[in-house]
Amino acid sequence: MSVLTEERLFEPFIDATDGVLCLPAGSDEAEIERLAGLHGLRFPLLHDRGAPLCDQVAASPFAPASSRFGPYCDNITGMNWELPDGRRVRIGERVVKSTTGYDLLRFLLGTVGRYGRPVDYVLRLRPACEESQTFFLRGDPVLLREAAAGILRTSWIHWFDSVDVLEGGEFSSLLRVAVNCPAEECDAYLGFLSGIAARHGLSLDQSPGLPMDGCPDLVIKTSPEVLPDIVQLLSGEYGAKCVGLCYCGVVHVFLPGQNPDSICRIAQALEPGLHAVGGDWSSRHVMPVNPDSPETEWIGKLKKEWNLP
Amino acid sequence: MIPSSQYLRKHLRRTVPHSRVLTSPAQLTGYASDGLGYKSFLPDAVVIPADAEELIKVILALKGIPICMRGAGTSLSGGPVAAQGGVVIHTSRLRAIRRICPEGFWCEVECGVNLDQLDQALAPYGLCYPPDPSSGQVCTIGGNVASNAGGAHCFRYGVTGNYVLGVEVVLPDGTLHCFGGPAGGRGRWREDWKKLMVGSEGTLGAFTRFWLRLTPRAEKAWTFSATYASLEATERAVHGLVRHPAFPVAIELMDPRAVALVESSPMAMGLPENRFMIVTEIDGPADLVDLRAESVAEVLRSAGSTDVQFGDNPEDRKNLFRARKAIGGLLGQMSPDYVVQDAVIPKRALAEILRLIYDESDRAGLPVVTVMHAGDGNLHPNFVFDSGKPEELEKIEVISKKLMKQVIAVGGTLSGEHGIGNDKCDYMGMVFGPEALRLQLSVPMIFNPSHAFNPLKVFPERRFVP
Repeated sequence: MSVLTEERLFEPFIDATDGVLCLPAGSDEAEIERLAGLHGLRFPLLHDRGAPLCDQVAASPFAPASSRFGPYCDNITGMNWELPDGRRVRIGERVVKSTTGYDLLRFLLGTVGRYGRPVDYVLRLRPACEESQTFFLRGDPVLLREAAAGILRTSWIHWFDSVDVLEGGEFSSLLRVAVNCPAEECDAYLGFLSGIAARHGLSLDQSPGLPMDGCPDLVIKTSPEVLPDIVQLLSGEYGAKCVGLCYCGVVHVFLPGQNPDSICRIAQALEPGLHAVGGDWSSRHVMPVNPDSPETEWIGKLKKEWNLP
Repeated sequence: MIPSSQYLRKHLRRTVPHSRVLTSPAQLTGYASDGLGYKSFLPDAVVIPADAEELIKVILALKGIPICMRGAGTSLSGGPVAAQGGVVIHTSRLRAIRRICPEGFWCEVECGVNLDQLDQALAPYGLCYPPDPSSGQVCTIGGNVASNAGGAHCFRYGVTGNYVLGVEVVLPDGTLHCFGGPAGGRGRWREDWKKLMVGSEGTLGAFTRFWLRLTPRAEKAWTFSATYASLEATERAVHGLVRHPAFPVAIELMDPRAVALVESSPMAMGLPENRFMIVTEIDGPADLVDLRAESVAEVLRSAGSTDVQFGDNPEDRKNLFRARKAIGGLLGQMSPDYVVQDAVIPKRALAEILRLIYDESDRAGLPVVTVMHAGDGNLHPNFVFDSGKPEELEKIEVISKKLMKQVIAVGGTLSGEHGIGNDKCDYMGMVFGPEALRLQLSVPMIFNPSHAFNPLKVFPERRFVP
């Protein structure tokens, strides 16, 4: 038999050597940057300046920098989780790699309040380099699409914080590439992107800093090869402002002024195609639909085991 | 009560041709253990289904009998063995790479595909599937997903779970479900059930098919080696590397005994005696990695190494990693048995935990050879012993328990990439408090409440009750 121990909740800490930071889930960008920045580190997956981190995670499993670092669930290594009746449980670890038990961490991170809420997160931090630049390639949409595919096919893709197609709203068609690198490497990045721009007849300009788009109203998860078509459909047919995270196959859709019903209608129009490839949609404004059998039964069992209402 | 082998043979041959139902003791012996060789459990039968359809029929036919899914059997934690008797289902016939989609960076594979087979198929597309456990030549994707396998290059690229977009699984009731798919989302489900499937060690169902994320192959790699006289200097080097903006893909540590093993093998490289060795690597576009190489070498030098070597010759790189990955096999020279632990520790505790390992090993008179995915803090101390000597087995258990206790005390965890299997079950109570343990045990209750699939694994409470 196992020897039982007490609940081992995380206490707030920062470990600069391991690059992990434990802080309240409600912390915002300023607080996270302040704590990580003291040690030359950063948490790259922030996509909204004002929103608490837990709201950002709930709004989308991905941020633009997920191209380079993966989704939130690969960058949150542990958390203190509060069940609906107030019980608090440690989920996950403070080390970056674990196969100890079932992966409730990744499961719960995607459940947005249905089985409780995060109280504290343990974040995986990365070295913060001194130069942050965002490059914009503009031109013919077909050529932009080819340029994006060209970037994705090279091993440069691992070194860009994000490679995003932007369409609709105030955007004209453009390809956005974000870079965080040591100063001495800037020319290499610029050289590569200038080459891509020249090859495809696109203009290239840049601005300092990394993109911060805000929390999307609708998130579409599809596979990378169909992403450009979905972006085009959403921006063309529904007038939505879209940020397509090319490598992740994720579209962040911004629909200011739309009510939950109309967001739901847009998403449901895409649903059959998404489900066919194992994709999905979610919106912070829309409650998820009730599950079908047999999922209802699985959820029922889980709730019973966890003593949840 | 599990039926006899003779009964199982008759029963299973109604579903599967007789050549793929194994019941003779000589045949069963090959399935009695995994890489944790000293703990063996003879199954009552082994069945090799031809495809997913046949697998479903087999599972339905085995209602009321413990089932253990098995790929190549290279697990190091006592995972794919029939710990409570019953039938082992071997997935060696499900070996098709069904589709590679280079534009979408995904592929669809059956569970018995092995890593080298996949790598060879991806090479012409300039793509790769990064997880690289040392057993890559033989281990299967199914086993890798079940144990959420890692490998040397996971420090930057991540482990298996980071690449699983979708899982097709047969649940114990014989129903077949897809969780996710090429897009890697939830699919038609409200919850993302595949997150629970990855790393579930065969305790929730039988995997048949996966959709895996792919990534472009690195254009160029620089590989570095450096040796150190002390643990403290080695730890300094690791700390310097993990913070380096070149983001090394791998940071591997070999202790003096591991270095000596390599030097006594045909892979000898003329490495110095009594030194800790670090092997690290950066990769990416040539324009970037060429800029970074010298600064990585400087990190290794500034930690105290006077013999830093680095280069971009692919053949040298291959040799270096081949030597590192061969250490498990070379241990056979030292003793009949070995047990490898897989704890993950915060990297600030690296020297402290390694010292504990050496002290305990010296005290017990049992040699230990340690390698480590140091970037991840993932320790692999290999304790060599003779399981034929009960006192040695007892000593191993005492050392393992002490080590795990200290690992937890410094903020680490039991397993980073091997899984718990039946080897580390008894330590789970050190990690999970009563409430967390209850939540953990609820997961198999959703899909496999009778624990028919892989009983006595992960948690000791998981005993099959017909």
